[in-house]
Amino acid sequence: MTCEEVRAQLPQLAEGGLRAAGAVEEHLAGCEACSAELRRYRALILELAALREVLLEPAEGLLGRLLAEVPEERRRRFLERVVADELLHRAAFSVGGVVVGASAIGLLWWRTNRRGSVSLEGVPRPAAPAADAASI
Amino acid sequence: MVTRELLAACRRGDPKAFEEVVRRTHRHVYTQALRLVGDRHEAEDVAQEAYLRAFRGLPGFRGDARFETWLYRIVANAAVSHLRRRGRFGQPTADPGEDLATDVEAASRRDPSLEDQAVDRDALSLALAELPVGLRIPVVLKDVYGMSCREIGEELGVSEGAVKVRLHRGRRRLKRALFPEATNDDV
Repeated sequence: MTCEEVRAQLPQLAEGGLRAAGAVEEHLAGCEACSAELRRYRALILELAALREVLLEPAEGLLGRLLAEVPEERRRRFLERVVADELLHRAAFSVGGVVVGASAIGLLWWRTNRRGSVSLEGVPRPAAPAADAASI
Repeated sequence: MVTRELLAACRRGDPKAFEEVVRRTHRHVYTQALRLVGDRHEAEDVAQEAYLRAFRGLPGFRGDARFETWLYRIVANAAVSHLRRRGRFGQPTADPGEDLATDVEAASRRDPSLEDQAVDRDALSLALAELPVGLRIPVVLKDVYGMSCREIGEELGVSEGAVKVRLHRGRRRLKRALFPEATNDDV
């Protein structure tokens, strides 16, 4: 494997997306320049991830300006609506659940009755009482 | 950090809870916005837009991911929309991110803990600020904020492969800026 082929894979190797294996691993073991390049990419990616916690100082008053964008009254009204929507959703789910449940029970009841009436058709009728037979 | 209790208070309709969410997250949001757009005033606009979107989207947030992760994605979306409106995509050599570079230098001067850290971190922040916007956004979103190439592609409206190419170019430029002595090693 050439240095050029290995270098193309180094950033992915550095971020842990690939594991050096086979020909790449062999190449890295024998090529100090490519190994050094991999170490540089690893250092770069580690430092980039660490930047997430390096906060830049905003201009004074940013918090106030951000809050003014969504004033308290609007926030209160909006959040009340969110709560109302959520209650409505729950109520809709409950009603839906009852409807589905009742339909399922009704369907089962209907099928059971239907099966019962079908099976009766094949059953022989009981014999007439003995007294009736004697009178004939 | 935004706790479940605080989010639950938001959902219960407590107007102070959203204020507390903004109070706890605004520096992160502003920093991310500045790293993406490279201009202080524009970063404020993006932060405002992001909170409006977060405010509107709060009912849809069900806590499957961390709130901060969800918010990072909203900031990314707001920043990309902002840059697109300003026509700053498709100009790979424009946008040197001067404000960001200045702020990073200033932050290093103000915060002694940053001076104690490796000089490389400051150099990295500066190099990142100087990347063209088309390369900076994939690097910031992937390597700093941990978004996947697929998610970044969705935000930018390009394929995952195109994101990977830009990410690779961006990282290579950063590496060259950070390790100039190793530039001759580039194949």
